[in-house]
Amino acid sequence: MQKPRQPLHEVIYTPESYLRHPIRLFKEMGRDLLAARELAWRLLVRDISAQYRQSFLGFFWAFVPPIVTALGLTLANNAKILNIGETDLPYPAYVMFSMALWQTFAEAVSGQIQAVSLAKPMMVRINFPREAIILSQLGQVFFNFAIKLILIVSLFLWFKMPIAWTVILAPVALIHLVMLGTCIGLFLAPIAALYEDISKGLTLGLGFWLFLTPVIYPVPQEGAFATLVRLNPVTPLLVAVRDLATMGHLSDPKGFWWMSAIAMLGLLVGWLFYRIAMPFVVERVSA
Amino acid sequence: MMISTPENQIADPSPEEDVVLSVEGVSKKFCRSLKRSLFYGVQDIASELLGLRQQNNTLRTREFWALKDVSLKLRRGEALGLVGANGSGKTTLLRIISGLIRPDTGSVRIRGRVAPLIALGAGFNPILTGRENIFANMSILGLSTKEIKARFDSVVEFAEIGDAIDSPVHSYSSGMAARLGFACAIHTNPEILLIDEVLAVGDIQFLAKCHRRLHELREQGIAFVLVSHNPQAILSMCQQSLYLQKGNVVAYSDTETIMNQYEEDLFLGAAQKVSGLLRMPDKPASESLGLDITSLCFKDTNNQILEELISGETVQLCIGFTSHKLLDDVNVRISIIKEGQTVLYFGGSNDKLTFYIPPGHHEVKVLLPNFGLSPGVYIMRVDIRNSALFILDIVEAFRFVVRTNGRMSKCLFCQPRSWELATYGKTAKEDVNASP
Repeated sequence: MQKPRQPLHEVIYTPESYLRHPIRLFKEMGRDLLAARELAWRLLVRDISAQYRQSFLGFFWAFVPPIVTALGLTLANNAKILNIGETDLPYPAYVMFSMALWQTFAEAVSGQIQAVSLAKPMMVRINFPREAIILSQLGQVFFNFAIKLILIVSLFLWFKMPIAWTVILAPVALIHLVMLGTCIGLFLAPIAALYEDISKGLTLGLGFWLFLTPVIYPVPQEGAFATLVRLNPVTPLLVAVRDLATMGHLSDPKGFWWMSAIAMLGLLVGWLFYRIAMPFVVERVSA
Repeated sequence: MMISTPENQIADPSPEEDVVLSVEGVSKKFCRSLKRSLFYGVQDIASELLGLRQQNNTLRTREFWALKDVSLKLRRGEALGLVGANGSGKTTLLRIISGLIRPDTGSVRIRGRVAPLIALGAGFNPILTGRENIFANMSILGLSTKEIKARFDSVVEFAEIGDAIDSPVHSYSSGMAARLGFACAIHTNPEILLIDEVLAVGDIQFLAKCHRRLHELREQGIAFVLVSHNPQAILSMCQQSLYLQKGNVVAYSDTETIMNQYEEDLFLGAAQKVSGLLRMPDKPASESLGLDITSLCFKDTNNQILEELISGETVQLCIGFTSHKLLDDVNVRISIIKEGQTVLYFGGSNDKLTFYIPPGHHEVKVLLPNFGLSPGVYIMRVDIRNSALFILDIVEAFRFVVRTNGRMSKCLFCQPRSWELATYGKTAKEDVNASP
């Protein structure tokens, strides 16, 4: 019995650079992104259920880090060890909220790198749309944020903080923040799969970066440090989420729109880089 | 890269649309030094990003050709065997075909879904249950949730894991996990199946089931590429074979010819088999472990070398060897294999027989009265050991043919027999002795 003949999907592999045929490349990227959706969902379900099945405390681990950080910093601040200026929100709430946002960004960066390194054994054996790894990781980032949201909501209730109507727009800014993180992650992930240095440097780099971002202190207004903080690409996006949730207006709309545009474009370029680089990575890590 | 189908294959025996896989002039280079290899990786990524990358025939420092100018063609329902020693590029070729790595020259054209039976159970998470893992694994292999649901029951049934489907995979035995992986992979309905040495999993029963399933798939028009060190697996499944040696194609032709050539090369190319007698070349002292097999043949009762055996005839298996030192616990083991299964095994361990071997040339003769194997092609493996584990020398594959003289048919074993007709009343006796 022969299988009924259907038009078969044809693929051709040659050594020629994909960038020589950009239209075909973009078509293939779109096709693979669509094809990756279901797989990404499966991987997401697999990873999240495995993660929580092997943990006794489960969701607890999503809230604890911001709470512990906030606790330590509030103590230090109250004892006047740290000299942090006035914040618009009560300080513990400010730190916890900002920390949750920063962590979401940091997860978007390091998550892509970890996901690629975890999926390496699978990627060197099976040719599935590599986009699935990105999507599933994005899913995890948002899932973890959703848990943190419980913390954030209880913060708002506990401290009886005012909520601006613009809070419904906050997710837009959050998505832009995650886009920026993912873009950086996508550029680093293929290189990190080749060289261990990237992962080591990243821990260090993110730690330092945190201090250049107005997370544990309010946006500084003057001085060289203020310039440095303003030039930090995370600042406008992170501040925008906070502004939209609590203040009802953007304190730096120009910075926000510029950074958003850069993040979006960067994400596309990062995706292109990731896609193009992955076969070479697979070739080298398994050879 | 998509290229419109070339219309220049007029000489092909079957229509071009039947070709599901065509590999043309594919080469791939690898680098022996890891540090350099990683650096070249970055270099390749950069040149790809700048759009500079194209056919590249030059080797950089410390690179070598893992594959050089390989071409092949596979049509629906065909099976191709890949043979070659370790490191000859078989797996690299499979990985290029499955699109994991890109060729450095040439092109690969594929029509339809390729399923690799290479990574069984890729993406299995040991914490999750078998059920969850089937879903994850099969979507990695490219199926939609709907398709997986439709196949789920037959996967579980094929894997024979029953109630364990809802237990975590780390509680499975290695055989169960392998069966589940195989079942997932084989239910993906591919057009091309790439099989790399995986048929070594599970017990004999499951193996037989896998072979049956592969046979069914063949009938449905699925094309195979099979890599195996087991010559019988290739002989029984593939009409065509490709013989690779250090990345170069040595031969691409029908499997019989290729296997003969491969087997000859296995003996370093120097062993000669002339009309039933296999002669091994002298081993250099550095490779010898103290005892070397020098010749192997079957002889009849008159000590004449036999080219072919006849079912039911008495034969002697003669194993000549030279020992360079005194060995006091030597035993010989013989396995005879047909289509991947050992059909006959005997050895000193069964017969509680060991030899005391002084230095010199010796010959062990094993008398096999009424040799009972059915007609067919067999592979014999002979090893000589000192005590149970220390292997002194091995002949991996001595190929021989058994024919029938009509005294056996329609069965697997030639039973030596004698008939008697007892008639009571008169004295009459007829004796038909089946054995000479």
